[in-house]
Amino acid sequence: MVSIRQAAVAAMVFVPVLQAQEDLGAMWGTAAEEAKYYPLVDIPIPPGVPMRPGGFENLDDGRLAVSTRRGDIYFVKGAFETPPVPEYHLFSSGQDETFSLSWKDGAMTATSWGEVTRIADVDGDGVADRYDTLTNNWGYGEGHEFAFASKHDPEGNIWVALGLSGSYESNNLFRGWAVKVTPEGKMIPVCSGLRSPGGVGANAEGAMFVIESQGPWNGSCSLKHLKEGGFLGHPASYNWYPYAPGLTRPALEPRSDSRMGVEKKRVKELVPPAVRFPYIKMGRSISGFRLNTTGGQFGPFENQIFLGDYSLSVILRATTEQINGVWQGACYPFREGLATGIMNVEFSPRGQLIAGGFTTNSQWPVRGTEPFALQRIDWNGVMPFEIKEINITTNGFRITFTEPVDPQVAARPEVYGITTCTHVYDAGYGSPEVDQTTAIVTRAVPAIDGLSVSITLEKLIEDHIYEFDLTNVRSHEDRRLVHSNAYYTVNEIPKP
Amino acid sequence: MSQFLPSPVTWPRLRASRLYCILLIIGVLCGGSCLLRASVALPALVTSDLDPKLKGHVLIEELKCAACHPAEAAVGERSKTAPRLAAIGSRVNPDYVQSLLLDPQAVHPGTTMPDVLSHLPAAEKSEVATALTHFLFSRQENDFSLRVPDAVAAGHGHRLFQARGCTACHSPRDASGVEVADAAFVPMGALERKYSFDSLVRFLRDPHASRPSGRMPDMRLPGQDLERIAHFLLQNTRVPGALGYTLYRGKVWEGLGSDEVKPERSGQVQDFNLKSLDDVHHHSAVVYTGWINLAAAGKYTFFLTLNGGSVQVDETVILEQAPSDRRGVKQLEAATELAAGRHRLSITYFHTGHEPSFSCELAGPQHARQPVPSSWLSASDEVIPVLAPLPVDAGLAARGREYFGKFGCASCHDDLGVSSLPAPALAGLDASRGCLSQERGPWPAFDLDDSQRELVARALPEASRLELDDRQKLEKSMVTFNCGACHERKGLSSLSPDRKALFTGSQPALGDQGRVPPPLSDAGAKLTKEWLRDVLLHGQRQRDYLDASMPQFGEANVGHLIDLFGQVDTLEAATLPPAPNILESKEAGYEMTGTTGFGCIACHTFNGQKSGEVSALDITQLPRRLQKNWFHLYMREPTRFHPTVIMPNYWPDGRSTRPTILGGDTTQQIEALWAYLEDGPRARKPLGLSRESNELRVGDVTEVCRGQSAAGYRGIAAGYPERLNLAFDSGEMALRQLWKGEFASVDYGSFSARGTDHISFPPGVPFHRLQSLEDNWPYKGKTNYSFPQDHGYQFRGYHLDASRRPSWLYQFGDISVQDYFEDVRDAKDQAYFKRTLRFDAPAGQLPFYFRAATGQTIVTHSEREFSSDRLRLRITSDHRGLVRPGDPGEVLILLSPPEGRSTLTLEYQW
Repeated sequence: MVSIRQAAVAAMVFVPVLQAQEDLGAMWGTAAEEAKYYPLVDIPIPPGVPMRPGGFENLDDGRLAVSTRRGDIYFVKGAFETPPVPEYHLFSSGQDETFSLSWKDGAMTATSWGEVTRIADVDGDGVADRYDTLTNNWGYGEGHEFAFASKHDPEGNIWVALGLSGSYESNNLFRGWAVKVTPEGKMIPVCSGLRSPGGVGANAEGAMFVIESQGPWNGSCSLKHLKEGGFLGHPASYNWYPYAPGLTRPALEPRSDSRMGVEKKRVKELVPPAVRFPYIKMGRSISGFRLNTTGGQFGPFENQIFLGDYSLSVILRATTEQINGVWQGACYPFREGLATGIMNVEFSPRGQLIAGGFTTNSQWPVRGTEPFALQRIDWNGVMPFEIKEINITTNGFRITFTEPVDPQVAARPEVYGITTCTHVYDAGYGSPEVDQTTAIVTRAVPAIDGLSVSITLEKLIEDHIYEFDLTNVRSHEDRRLVHSNAYYTVNEIPKP
Repeated sequence: MSQFLPSPVTWPRLRASRLYCILLIIGVLCGGSCLLRASVALPALVTSDLDPKLKGHVLIEELKCAACHPAEAAVGERSKTAPRLAAIGSRVNPDYVQSLLLDPQAVHPGTTMPDVLSHLPAAEKSEVATALTHFLFSRQENDFSLRVPDAVAAGHGHRLFQARGCTACHSPRDASGVEVADAAFVPMGALERKYSFDSLVRFLRDPHASRPSGRMPDMRLPGQDLERIAHFLLQNTRVPGALGYTLYRGKVWEGLGSDEVKPERSGQVQDFNLKSLDDVHHHSAVVYTGWINLAAAGKYTFFLTLNGGSVQVDETVILEQAPSDRRGVKQLEAATELAAGRHRLSITYFHTGHEPSFSCELAGPQHARQPVPSSWLSASDEVIPVLAPLPVDAGLAARGREYFGKFGCASCHDDLGVSSLPAPALAGLDASRGCLSQERGPWPAFDLDDSQRELVARALPEASRLELDDRQKLEKSMVTFNCGACHERKGLSSLSPDRKALFTGSQPALGDQGRVPPPLSDAGAKLTKEWLRDVLLHGQRQRDYLDASMPQFGEANVGHLIDLFGQVDTLEAATLPPAPNILESKEAGYEMTGTTGFGCIACHTFNGQKSGEVSALDITQLPRRLQKNWFHLYMREPTRFHPTVIMPNYWPDGRSTRPTILGGDTTQQIEALWAYLEDGPRARKPLGLSRESNELRVGDVTEVCRGQSAAGYRGIAAGYPERLNLAFDSGEMALRQLWKGEFASVDYGSFSARGTDHISFPPGVPFHRLQSLEDNWPYKGKTNYSFPQDHGYQFRGYHLDASRRPSWLYQFGDISVQDYFEDVRDAKDQAYFKRTLRFDAPAGQLPFYFRAATGQTIVTHSEREFSSDRLRLRITSDHRGLVRPGDPGEVLILLSPPEGRSTLTLEYQW
């Protein structure tokens, strides 16, 4: 019932003890199986380095850059070796808490609470000496007013998502908005309606997305599309349209105690979340994410989004597709059992997934027990049997697997356990799962190569999350799926 | 000396020793408490290995023989100065003075004050003592008064009395204040008979005021420590009062026995009115205890208004509330049958609500409900008389003045304008007669034991023409001031394990070195003269982990030791390398100090920052303390100087364990460490130095941190190597804070200024085109969402120079501003900020004002120089300032930048 941003500032705010004892849910129980394909590697941190990792980036010279809550940026050599032999070099210090890094043209663009800064070492001594502020033109004057940013987009812009004041109100300029910052330092407001965003980044098609947290107007955590001119669901930030030239305040406000599927038809600017992450089942405080473009070095999940979860210390996957002009997609469990609260992830040039984060010294619940950690997930080349991706079709879904399925099993409709639900779209905090249905699979047709199955449902319901239970699917070698669940958010149904 | 640690002994454990014949008497003079009769106690004579001949001279000087017996001036100069008596009327209890005069050793065991009245018949002695007392209390204020001891503070004081090093010289005491150790300590006796709380604290704060001899050093303790120690030493002071109380704080609803509840203070009050207790914060409990005297037998009913609490009369609890009930204000009553006479009463009040609310009323057989009158209550079941000031009798005082001269008091206590007749000259005294005999006669009786007598007798013949070499002078002084109570020194003093056990420290990993003050063997060859001076005369210390403080004995008393150490302690010259390349050398030192070298910082603090669990001596302070020669000798073989030293030898058998650095040359490497560390706190931070600490320290380059702070959410702080610091608000692009000394504490997303001499500037932008001098200076209001961008401002970041000093960069309209602060020193070596504002402007700029300073009190010294409160502002470019009065007042500078580059320069000194 809390966001990742709340987690990160929990040291500063009073958190009632009762909340701290909230249940983090059961483990998936898949860690041992996951480890057969994706072993976890610890990257040691020497004593004396105040390493509370917030953001990552790859440098041209093969080093890993890590930004910290303390406002330092370390350049780490040897983090990708096996075993890792890291050497930490302090590149810059003295910034505010920094959760986003992007390296371009010999300089590091770092986004901290108050600004986007281009940090460079001009005199060549290995330590930064120029801190050029690209913009600090958003309001910053209260707790929780986090700023998370993307890598440079193809035009060189940095997209920044700005959390609400205290995570509820919008008391300072552009709180609850996403903005983009040009290489010249011009700040362009993009869309309103954010609550307490986390990581920002592009999907394989280059569309920009943000992680959003469960809370008011957000039934669950989600991945949202930063649609230019869009309204992303939380109306507290409506008040800044007069400061956003070229953008018009939506004529209507969303109604509480409604459904996203209903309100998006009323409020035409409303952009429904692309992928919703059912609470606890798929994380509790999802955080930074990164697109896997490692050319297969990380296994079968190329061009998919990988993201961490702060509270549950897990890594999840997500896929997106655009249907009728609206982004939607699915999320999948990937790896559990990380050492600490995961704030961010990054793919190394060798196709390893770097993950890191910290816990806070308040009672904030985090499953991982380390106060801070840098870890790496390597693919060892062994192919897991996994749901690779789920795509919607006009009358059902196509489920793609990483290994051929047993076609006889996969052709049986009763193998596919599919239930649906949605959330209340409401000003209250979070939402239970409501409007549950059980989908009826009328047909299941495996492809010739066995790598996918097209299933036909009796009907498809808009605004519902489809929960897949494929426990009974077997591979052609009679293996069980490492993870048998996946969750597809249906915003739109493809027109035939 | 078998056991020094406080133990529950109620009687002093006494033992005769070679030098000390201790008599035990029950002091009728002492109101029933027990005292011991002792001979003159000079513990260092027993514990040190000083040449016996010199011990005799120490005795002659400590007993002040030359005060009566004329001698060479040098003897008098070396001798102790007796306590000053001018202000005794507010310092010492008059009863104590009179008792002391009657029998010094009984009242203050071990005192060097002789009994000058020992030959008088009892009645006459008593008359003389009374007269002397009246004389002494007729001098200045006669306002000695007592205060109730705080038992809670006394508990802390008990710990501090040992931890701060009092027990190096004075006997440790058990929790009830009884001295538990035997001979080799300076006994103090029952101090509650002598001092009041106020007078003892005053004495401890500046012992040299009344005792310029420095034998009782100034411990330089914080006021709270002194007060707690005074409460401990005076815990047996008795003062009449109605009720005793103890105030507790914490989770009082869990009961007073809980670990979460701590006693805060105790004392006496006159009634149950909470207002008598000063501030009672919530989450408090008060336990009142005392005796109630009831005139009649019958049924008594207590009426209480409280959150929670209990009432106990004698052994019976007549009212008690379970912890869960202790919320909300309640009216409760409890009745009991009581006999006439005294009953023990204990009432507890738990304050768990917002406003404290408590009252206690009583109804009885002869009276209706009413607050309990103070006159029925007594904090003690004994009758404690009120201490009244001595009613000084002028006739007695006048006689006392005569006696003060006649009996020789004035020979030692020479601050009262009275003089005594001299005794026979010191040279040629017969040691078998007078003071040194055991006869009683018209001379001072010193209570010396046989060996002390013998030491004096042997030293006497040469006392007047004593010639000492430097070593003898040094050692004699070290014995006089009991340096050996804390510091070992080869050939002079050593500390037994029992004595070492009395010292405590905060770094257990350092072993004895983390608890026991450092040895002084070879101190003169080890420490620089400047450091010896800093330690001996200014109380400086590096070993913060030692609980004991470094006492101050006064320059007049120990100033001569600074040179003596250097003259006495010599070591061979170490082999130094041929003149090395200083830059290469420093670089090697930097490398060796870090974790990739010898890893010195694994144990040693570096410029206040510790990397590992241990925080041994700060190595950036080494060159300030140590002589280079000693550093070389020590590094080659640490165990030579400290057999149990924890520090490893990095050059075993003279061969380096890091052969790749400087060719593995041992002397070059040690020299390189020295060259590197010689930069002190400005030495470049070594590799691997922890940044985990919340305190951000500045070394040789400027440090920057930013976040939520007194300079706003977008504050940026810069700490400069000259120990000047500033905070800049990148939201409004203005200077917000200046301070000196330590830089900042940093946390995630925030910082706070440390240091001293803070100057704050109010919110607001630096430049503005005031339409009139009546206009307000603009700053961001709560709903001024676009401020200050709507005034043309845009922050552009900062660039660092070679010393990492930032130039703040921002736009004011079309004008680009570079705003650079430089830390520099003036001719008097005072650091100040030089500020340079560079403007790059297109043509045609309208003039605008720069607000250079604000303050409540602005003084114009010239059109270029202003004082704004504590800040001195000087304009050093061709600009003029004007003062705009207001709250605060402002120093404004009119600017009109021409096309291209122009500059405004200022100096900030405070």
